[in-house]
Amino acid sequence: MTLQHYLVISAILFTLGIFAVLTRRNAISILMGIELILNSCNLNFAAFSRFMTPADISGQIIAIFGIVLAAAEAAVFLAIILAIYREFGSIRPNEVDTLKG
Amino acid sequence: MEFTLKTFIFYGFALMTVASALLVVTVRNIVHAAFSLMVTLFGVAGLYVFLQADFLAATQVIVYVGGILVLILFGVMMTSGRLEMRIHIERGQLLLGGAVALALFMLLLTVIANTPLWKNRIDDGIALPPTTEKIGKLILNGPFLLPFEVVSVLLLVALIGAALISRKEVRD
Amino acid sequence: MVVPLISLILLCPLAAFAVFGLLGLANRRFPRQDYLSTAAMLIALACSFLLLREVVPEPEAHTVNWVSLGSVTFSMGFYLDSVTAIMLIVVTLVSSLVHIFSMGYMHGDPRYPRFFAYLSLFSFSMLFLVVSDNLLGIYIGWELVGLCSYLLIGFWFEKDSAANACKKAFLTTRVGDVGMFIGMMMLFTKFQTLSLYGEGGIFALAASQLTTGDMVWLSIAGVLIFCGAIGKSAQMPLHTWLPDAMEGPTPVSALIHAATMVAAGVYLTARMFPILTETSSLVIAYVGGITALVAATIAIVRFDIKRVLAYSTISQLGYMMLAIGAGSYVAGLFHLTTHAFFKALLFLGSGSVIHAFHAMHAHGHDDEHAHEHGEDPDTEHVLGSEIPADQDMRNMGGLRHKMPITFITMLIATLSISGVPFIFSGFWSKDAVLAGVLGRAMEWNSVHHYILFIMALSAAGITAFYMFRLIFMTFFGEPRNQEMHDMAHESPLSMTVPLLILAALSLPIVNTLWFNADYVKPPQQPHLHAPTHAQVAPDTKTGGTGFALSLFGVSEAVAAEEDAGHGTQDAHADDGHHGHGPAHTIAMILSICVAGLGILLSWLFYHRRTLSAESVATTFRPVYNLFWHKYYFDEFYDGVLVALTVWKARLFAQFDGTVVDGIVNGVGVVTRDILAAFTGAFDNRVVDGIVNRVAQVTWAVGGRIRRIQTGAIQTYLFVVLAGIVLLILIFRAF
Repeated sequence: MTLQHYLVISAILFTLGIFAVLTRRNAISILMGIELILNSCNLNFAAFSRFMTPADISGQIIAIFGIVLAAAEAAVFLAIILAIYREFGSIRPNEVDTLKG
Repeated sequence: MEFTLKTFIFYGFALMTVASALLVVTVRNIVHAAFSLMVTLFGVAGLYVFLQADFLAATQVIVYVGGILVLILFGVMMTSGRLEMRIHIERGQLLLGGAVALALFMLLLTVIANTPLWKNRIDDGIALPPTTEKIGKLILNGPFLLPFEVVSVLLLVALIGAALISRKEVRD
Repeated sequence: MVVPLISLILLCPLAAFAVFGLLGLANRRFPRQDYLSTAAMLIALACSFLLLREVVPEPEAHTVNWVSLGSVTFSMGFYLDSVTAIMLIVVTLVSSLVHIFSMGYMHGDPRYPRFFAYLSLFSFSMLFLVVSDNLLGIYIGWELVGLCSYLLIGFWFEKDSAANACKKAFLTTRVGDVGMFIGMMMLFTKFQTLSLYGEGGIFALAASQLTTGDMVWLSIAGVLIFCGAIGKSAQMPLHTWLPDAMEGPTPVSALIHAATMVAAGVYLTARMFPILTETSSLVIAYVGGITALVAATIAIVRFDIKRVLAYSTISQLGYMMLAIGAGSYVAGLFHLTTHAFFKALLFLGSGSVIHAFHAMHAHGHDDEHAHEHGEDPDTEHVLGSEIPADQDMRNMGGLRHKMPITFITMLIATLSISGVPFIFSGFWSKDAVLAGVLGRAMEWNSVHHYILFIMALSAAGITAFYMFRLIFMTFFGEPRNQEMHDMAHESPLSMTVPLLILAALSLPIVNTLWFNADYVKPPQQPHLHAPTHAQVAPDTKTGGTGFALSLFGVSEAVAAEEDAGHGTQDAHADDGHHGHGPAHTIAMILSICVAGLGILLSWLFYHRRTLSAESVATTFRPVYNLFWHKYYFDEFYDGVLVALTVWKARLFAQFDGTVVDGIVNGVGVVTRDILAAFTGAFDNRVVDGIVNRVAQVTWAVGGRIRRIQTGAIQTYLFVVLAGIVLLILIFRAF
């Protein structure tokens, strides 16, 4: 198992997350895509920490912070989704277009 | 590279992660997607184990699977009726998004393959001691104390903000 | 001594008026304005008497520079010579007496203090005019007396006739004043100064600078300045305002419109004496002569006692003008002086009569309106033609017993003006005028002056006639209106005392105190060339018209006069022109004859009634009508001048309405319909077009561009990512 294995897995997760964010017509699906992206990032941190600086685990701590951020983000995201749902009766992102020009 | 059990298990986790992630972005039922995401998160946690990040793996399972995923499921339940469970996808958007994602993926692969620093970094297989103690010391008694406190405040703010945003409007 | 005295003379009346004016500004009234004004005039009178002795040696001028405009300096100052001194005496004396008289006459008038304030202002203006040493000062005083005349004629402005009369007086005299101003400007243009005396004065410059080629120009200037005198002294043809001016209170008529202000024209002409040329002198003489004759004839047929006196005044002023025009400077001024006194006396006497009747009206018999409207249905409708009942001589008669003092004093004045010989000053002055004219005629062998002499002589006879007509109608015979007669009474002391003083002044002995040949010397007339004799001094004989004679008594008068005439003549003209001696004798004899004839006719017509005035009037109907209608001057002015003015005004109004308005409107139309339309179109099309097009383009572009702003987050993200991919591809390519 080389670093590149992890990086490729991470890249696949990232790409899938991007794909979800771009194509899904449901806010919660988008949130899932974002979680995938964040996971790929955390995986990268852990992998780089393991392979580039084996004695130092700072990369893992950054990953932990990333998880915390993901949790906070998810909480806020869901709160916003709930507010939008109450306001628009829908969480389809293309229907929430008040800022449309 | 010999094909050991460890290697097999790694590939198994990798496959599980990738496949479930693919499911997450492809299935039409959002609940199914959520459960696929759970599998993905478990897979990632497994990969963390392979990277000898045991604390990180545990945190991943606890926070993601136990917290965020439950949160997502609650969100699904609160916002979607039965009809909304199916995720609507447009063909044009699918193609465009897919193209961009694919291009991005190809770029990433190119970078990964062509970066010299990253080449031939092989897992040495040395088992490290459990990282929990080191992490605790680094966070609570080391250079990460300030970021830790900042992140905790951030988390607090996010929680309060989320509660404030999501509650029903008080007409006063 | 001279300057303080003159200053005092000027300041006293001015102060009296200032008290009234300042209190008026403070909205207060000074209840004893009459005493204040009268006291001021008495002080001025005392000062004038003191000045009389100051002046003998040499004329004095005191000048200060007033305004400097560029290279031209206008000065203000006093000029004091014998004429000034005499005029000061005349003005202050008559004014003082009129003040005193007015205390009785105006008693009870609602604007009693104002009357005296106006009198003070008038006195100041007149005195200022008299003492000024330059034309500008004279003009200022000239206009000020005009203003006072206006204010006082219109003093009873509730009466329409008074209000109209004061406007008429003001406007008519203004016609003359314009001529005077033009004349002044002509002199100013030539000499760059308005000062009269001294080195740089007009007279000195005119004597030294002018050549014979300038004579026409100088004649025109002289006649133009004389125009002012025509207006102010009510000469033909601007005399029509003076009879109407009798709408003012009678003391005003006495002071302003008989004794002083109207004499200002004569005074001005006398002041201008040195620059009069042969032509302008002749014009002046003719104007004076015609005025004297015409006004006298009009006076014959008047019934309003004040109008008779008004026309008499015009006639006498004509005499004075004639005298000055004929070169008899001293005679003219002498007649001015004597006339001032006896005409003031006549007016005050008539005022006394009117007061007697008027007081009756005040007691309740308010039949004035009945008389006004009931009488004279054929009276002309010209301004001021209705005769108030208390001034109508047909209501009078037999008053000599009721008002003895008034009767006697007026009789003295009448004898004086009629030229009854020897004991009355009017005889001497009128005789001097006649002699002067005849003397000039014989000297120059001039037909013009013979004609003028005949005119003057006829006027003298007519004067005697109409004056005695007035006396007979007023004081003799039976009362015509018994009711009014019963109410009449002698006037109070404040009115009779001035009458007595003036009557005394009508005796020649008083006038000789200051009027003698040594005291008044006629100025030279360098521009007057006799047709036959060069450089005559024509005044020498009249200058000495023998007033020393009066000192010796009536019987020796003629001889003494002859001596005086010879003496002065010898002193002034060595080669001796012997025309004056016979001229004077002839003039005196003729004047006595015509005066006697006039009085006799008057006695026959109006006292004995041997002859009927009505039958004569019927016989000579056209002549009578001519006199009655005052030679149709008012009709002429109304019908021609006023109509012409109105027609001209209409023409101009039409011009204004069509041409000027047309141009203005045309410009407006052009501006609005062409220029404004063009600029409007430019504004709408081009400017607005640019602005709107910019807005449209912006709008359109914005409309297109805003489509980018889809509001869909995923689109944004897509674009961002695509951009990233492209950027990476680009940078990796290099």
